[in-house]
Amino acid sequence: MNLDWSIVWQSRGPLLEGALVTILLTALTMMIAVPGGIVLALMRGSRLRPVAWFATGFVELFRNLPLLLLVYWAFYVMPVLTGLGLPPFATGLAALCLNVSAYNSETFRSGINSIRRGQSEAGLALGMSRSEVFRQIVLPQAWRRVLPILASTWVSLFKDTSLVSVIAVGELAHTAMQIRSQSFRVLEMLTAMAAIYWLLGYPQAKIVDWIHRKYGVRE
Amino acid sequence: MTVFVRKNADKPPMLVYENVKKCYGTFMAVNGVSLHVNAGEVVCLIGPSGSGKSTLLRCTNALETIDGGEIRFEGKPLPTKDAEIRQIRQRMGMVFQSFELFPHKTALENVSIGLTTVKKMATEKARTRAIALLTKVGLADKTANYPANLSGGQQQRVAIARALAMEPHVMLFDEPTSALDPETVGEVLNVMRNLAQEGMTMIVVTHEMSFARRVANWVVVFERGQLLEQGPPQQIFEAPTIERTRDFLGHLGWSG
Amino acid sequence: MDFDFSPLIDSWRFLASGLGLTIVLSVTAVACSFVLGLAVGLGRMYGRTWLRTLLVFYIDSMRAIPVFVVLVWIYFAVPIISGYSFDPFWAALTGITIHVAAYVAEVIRAGITSIRKGQVQAGLAIGMSGAQIIRQILLPQAIVRMLPAFGSIVSVTIKDTAIAAVIAVPELMRQAETVAGQSYRPIEVFTTVMVIYFLLIFPITRLIDRYYIRVAHLGRS
Repeated sequence: MNLDWSIVWQSRGPLLEGALVTILLTALTMMIAVPGGIVLALMRGSRLRPVAWFATGFVELFRNLPLLLLVYWAFYVMPVLTGLGLPPFATGLAALCLNVSAYNSETFRSGINSIRRGQSEAGLALGMSRSEVFRQIVLPQAWRRVLPILASTWVSLFKDTSLVSVIAVGELAHTAMQIRSQSFRVLEMLTAMAAIYWLLGYPQAKIVDWIHRKYGVRE
Repeated sequence: MTVFVRKNADKPPMLVYENVKKCYGTFMAVNGVSLHVNAGEVVCLIGPSGSGKSTLLRCTNALETIDGGEIRFEGKPLPTKDAEIRQIRQRMGMVFQSFELFPHKTALENVSIGLTTVKKMATEKARTRAIALLTKVGLADKTANYPANLSGGQQQRVAIARALAMEPHVMLFDEPTSALDPETVGEVLNVMRNLAQEGMTMIVVTHEMSFARRVANWVVVFERGQLLEQGPPQQIFEAPTIERTRDFLGHLGWSG
Repeated sequence: MDFDFSPLIDSWRFLASGLGLTIVLSVTAVACSFVLGLAVGLGRMYGRTWLRTLLVFYIDSMRAIPVFVVLVWIYFAVPIISGYSFDPFWAALTGITIHVAAYVAEVIRAGITSIRKGQVQAGLAIGMSGAQIIRQILLPQAIVRMLPAFGSIVSVTIKDTAIAAVIAVPELMRQAETVAGQSYRPIEVFTTVMVIYFLLIFPITRLIDRYYIRVAHLGRS
């Protein structure tokens, strides 16, 4: 077996760039999917039946599909729906947002439901409006339950961004796979890819554990 | 003045505690306690919360290991080897404050699990025995119920039957009625009283002063990990020799 | 915009064979992950120090590395090291199992540690041994408590099998790509396959949740 690890160092520029795109994609998706999740959760609790049904359908559909399929689907359907030729990055971002918003919606819904009804009633009894009760009483308490789950979702999302590589978004996985096929240094590049994901993901997993310990609710 | 003679005082005691110590870090939970329990006696341990009485009870069947002194059960010091401790535990039944029934087992299975897994008894035989014990604690009609479908008092009676199934020589009760609704306390205390009348040796950590007074043969008062006073219930409740005992009973609203 | 679903009808056998393989891969991966995850979870809790350190490292690494990367590495890199080339199916099964087992291990550990200490003591008090307590008291309750998490692990596993398409396992996703490419009808093909996946995953998670509601009390000590 003849190995040449220098290819990894030579490719440091593109690899670093790919890693940055991965992180950017993760951050942007979360920035959209957190408010998206809250809106969907509120819509599901709406008294307007069609609104609640739409949100329920949206959430159940997009969290019960393989992400890879969603990425392909977005790649072909988005241009038809929007009439625009979207770049791969935007398409990948859209697929991730659909998926993660659906997850976050469930996270927020269970967090909100975990707050006893007496809490809302106490707020209403003080003369607060429904939205005041939600913002001042329910959300601050639900946050504690929601935060650890959001942190776990973040790490899953970070890993899932690797799947948008199939539509040529230039993130870490795609970059590494490209260099692999151009240089034929398969073992070296695939190992480097795994190592970079590990280096980035391992501390995140540890931070998640810390958040769970600090904020986790014990039954 | 008549001298009080303890039950079976002419025979060797069943349990002897000699200068027992147990600490958690720097906190002395039990600090040099010596007492003994004779066969057939009902000994109640009373005292304020955190005074070490529960800890002493849990040291008795080695759920906690002691840090000093010695506990002798039927003449022999408590063993340290795991297998030997398990042998000893089979001869001591324990009832917990929070029942600790196994939620995935029916009442019947909760009572028979020790027989089948630890004593390797045949399922049918264990079943018959379990039914007899559940009948004895007044739950013949609840054998198929899961703990979730039993009241607190019923759960605790199942727990007593579970402990009795192992045919223990002594029963250890750790505040058996503290987690119960007031209306179900009586049914558990009744079972315990019947058990005492049958001559079972019992050590009971309790806050139920009327039970201690009526059923106990010997009452031990704890405070801050130490033994404050011990004696027959008449003495403890009617003529405590120590001021602190009087204070403690007074706090509980006990008026002689 | 006009739709043409005829390519789907023409190649339904091809897609059905893909669905069959998706189901086979999912079932075997769930079974293998559960066995491996149980062993890892128990080893991580009760094993010797070196074993625990090793298993924590394995679990956290799998939490950090995407399953896509694991699959690609096993399929393309392992043959270079070992000299043996894998059949794509076995590479996918191995990769998914290694990945999912780490999650199963964590779920089992969380399930067991959530059970009150009193339950262990009640077992000790009737003279049970450590192994008897784990088998008879802790695991049965932990498994009930784990059910919702186990449901999501099943759903994640089915979703992960789609990634096997990347290493050319002819499961549903891969077959869909092929049909979409040949027919130039990707929207119809992928939309239909979306419905199929949804009909596969959604009822399973729902059934597990329903079942959990019925048995939850068996795990509540």
